[in-house]
Amino acid sequence: MRATALMIQRMTLDVLFPASADEAATLYGDGEGITVFAGGTIILPEIAAGRLVPERALMLHKSGLDEIRTDGDRVLIGAMVTVAALAEGDDPFLAGAASQVADGEIRRNATVGGNICSPPGDDAQRGDLGGALIALGARVRSTGAGGERTEPVEDFLAGDRAGRLVLELEYDGFERRTGAHSLRRRHAHSYAIAGAVACSRADGSDLRVAVTGVGPTAVRCRSVEQSRDPADVLKDVQPVDDAVATAAYRTAVLPTVVREALDHLEHA
Amino acid sequence: MKAVGARLPRYDGLGHVTGRTQFVDDVRVGKTLWVKALRSTHHNAAITSLDTSKAEAMKGVRAIITHKDVPKNVYGHLEGLGVPGDEPLLADGEVRWLGQPIAAVAAESEAAAQAAVEAMEISYEERPALFDIRNALDPDAPEIHQWGNVYPHYGPYNHRRVRKGDIDRAFDEADTIVEGVYRPQAIEQVPMETQVSLVVPEASGRLTIYSCTQAMYFSMGVVAAHLQVPLNKLKFVGGTVGGGFGGKVDTATETICALLALKARKPVKWRWTREEEFLVSSTRAPWHIELQDAVSKEGWILGRRTVTLHDSGAYARFSPYGLTKHAFHHSGAYTIPNLRFDGFVVFTNRVPTTAMRGFGVTSVSFAVETHMNRIAEVMGLDPWELRLKNANRIGDTSGNGVVLKDPSTVAVTLAAADRVGIELSAEYRGMNEEPRTGALLPEHLVAQQNLNGEGA
Amino acid sequence: MNLIVNGSEVEIVSPPLTPLLHVLRDELDITGPKAGCQQGGCGTCTVLIDGEPRRSCLTAVAAVDGASITTIEGVGQAEELSAVQAAFYKHYAAQCGFCTPGMVLAATALIERKGGPVERDEVLEALGGHYCRCTGYVKIIDAVMAASRGEVDSVDDLPVPEPGQPEVLPKGSPA
Repeated sequence: MRATALMIQRMTLDVLFPASADEAATLYGDGEGITVFAGGTIILPEIAAGRLVPERALMLHKSGLDEIRTDGDRVLIGAMVTVAALAEGDDPFLAGAASQVADGEIRRNATVGGNICSPPGDDAQRGDLGGALIALGARVRSTGAGGERTEPVEDFLAGDRAGRLVLELEYDGFERRTGAHSLRRRHAHSYAIAGAVACSRADGSDLRVAVTGVGPTAVRCRSVEQSRDPADVLKDVQPVDDAVATAAYRTAVLPTVVREALDHLEHA
Repeated sequence: MKAVGARLPRYDGLGHVTGRTQFVDDVRVGKTLWVKALRSTHHNAAITSLDTSKAEAMKGVRAIITHKDVPKNVYGHLEGLGVPGDEPLLADGEVRWLGQPIAAVAAESEAAAQAAVEAMEISYEERPALFDIRNALDPDAPEIHQWGNVYPHYGPYNHRRVRKGDIDRAFDEADTIVEGVYRPQAIEQVPMETQVSLVVPEASGRLTIYSCTQAMYFSMGVVAAHLQVPLNKLKFVGGTVGGGFGGKVDTATETICALLALKARKPVKWRWTREEEFLVSSTRAPWHIELQDAVSKEGWILGRRTVTLHDSGAYARFSPYGLTKHAFHHSGAYTIPNLRFDGFVVFTNRVPTTAMRGFGVTSVSFAVETHMNRIAEVMGLDPWELRLKNANRIGDTSGNGVVLKDPSTVAVTLAAADRVGIELSAEYRGMNEEPRTGALLPEHLVAQQNLNGEGA
Repeated sequence: MNLIVNGSEVEIVSPPLTPLLHVLRDELDITGPKAGCQQGGCGTCTVLIDGEPRRSCLTAVAAVDGASITTIEGVGQAEELSAVQAAFYKHYAAQCGFCTPGMVLAATALIERKGGPVERDEVLEALGGHYCRCTGYVKIIDAVMAASRGEVDSVDDLPVPEPGQPEVLPKGSPA
């Protein structure tokens, strides 16, 4: 099936509507000159205000990437699965994390792919789901220059995401103990001040800990995983200043947030 | 009096719940031009050049105005009350706050208007800026306003003064002096409807102005003054305000729209973005308030010295009036026989400040009530009893000489105590607002008591 | 592109990345959804898309091609208010009225979804993305809960102003 290209009046702008994941990957190519339009919650206001003028936009709504499926023990989440669908999904841990993102109305637009691709804003850190996905040991399948690759979420977040098109996330379904805690204000677009998530196997082994909202991306906290000491989180991340909170405040509260998450896991 | 106590429906309620209420942005009048403004990118700077010719030549641009197009560019919001004007509608030669409008364009779409603004060529020579009111009177502070850094037009003074009783004696006789500094900060009113107006030039030569103003006749006067036209040339349509809270008292968009509508001979609309609303619309003022109270060991407030600095932002707007209200309320709901108040309206390179819900009063009420708690803490007194003891009563005289006929402090304080479950002693529980006598009329309050209702 | 707006099918000519809000207001002249912030932060532009409340300012029209859109205009008329509208009217939940269309639509969807009385926490969650600067929210929350309990089926006990009359004047008021 061929992509439809429409010209808009105000500016020369191709909008491409791939009808499958393969077509999306082909149209994306190496990503040069392409703006990916997923849920649009971050970029549509920028486009409407004229601050962002994409040369070519790739709209993924018809690309079939909006399914959650299982393959054996693996759970696969398409990049265009909405955060609302995760919040109402079968995995209570992911549902809990997703229900902390923005508000219900925005979650119906926002996508999991967009969430892990979002750069930090002028006012706040973004990508609240990153922490939960790292703790689950999730992997990202993406395409772009050099072709398709699958890597752990923490590696994807640490790399240059700008040139990648996320196709799918996957994680292994097994019995887990989980814990999470976040410090936030309750309102739409109120990003977390700080959040911590922890997962382990049912016997407590394979602890994975991540924090979110304190820096440009979610970060895996290997020091805490090894020592199980919440204070060690400051060896793993350096909190930043933004309109939501100061770096000093985040630095002060983060060990407590991590301790809460570990306590929840302990008593899960 | 059937309306009092009755549940009457909101006259506009049906329109609101059905979405039929027509706000300014909902008015449709055919081909309407959109407005965008060129705004200062500096806090304080001289404008060394401005060239709008490229913008004027752009597709879709129908009119551009600068200060040269404004018949009376400098007009003060309070000129009707004798406060001289200091603020240009469009900046002329200099800018004093980040976001100050310099030129405005009307174009066939919002995008075309924005593109035209971006095509305007402007250069600045930056000047040192002043942001902290506490530094305004320092010898090395930059002078940022044509009147100096302090508003100078309080009669013979450069500040608002209140003098009552013998302040020095009160402090001589005090058992304790309690000091406090209070700094309530700027607040944006954040109406859900951003600033907006639509101006339609009529065949008759009149302008129909759809406005979200909170102050119709006031805004009409402001537009007429800038345009130098009689009021009968303006037909204001208002009364539907998507939230104001004081933020829609300043005439933010109407005048510029009117000038552009006249120049383009087309309907013109200006709807601010949320960013503009936050960054360049006027806010509640920040204040710096220092209180010093002379207190007796029995808990009588014998005297109060006050120094207040009011951050006016770059221009005066309503600040001189706000500070006057502040002065009237600086003794709070309490009888203080000896007062010395000195309040300054200070200019800074911030967005001009303006009305917001009791402006001038809320700041000093916050300071006074916090200070009352501080006094109670320092003196080891009960804060409720301290308030009731010093509460205004019939016949007491306020700081500005008003004899109080029905002060409600005692009743309100007792009701508040009741609501939060505070147990007061019988002596305080039985208090009322009747004129002071006996133990509640100590020597220092006799002189200011005025039961004949004459001003002090 | 096509949309079904308040039951009528319409063809859309706006470019595909135009926010649905602008399509409704500027192409279709449906002014119930308001442009309060145009960045998803305030809830004044909320409409129902296939029955679910979403921010029209964050929704590119191409992403909802073919969908059914309900705005406040499609909910009820002054002569025939919906339960939520009647409750907002009766409980004084609308003050300046600018947030009201979004609030009513979000509340309508919540009650529809729940299919019965809603709890206070559910109202807070569903309306958490909607700002009101006038009421302090209490009357809005009361109105939504009352509507969900079927308590407000009529506003007959409140006088309804005649068209053209500015307000209901008590007897004996000066003309």
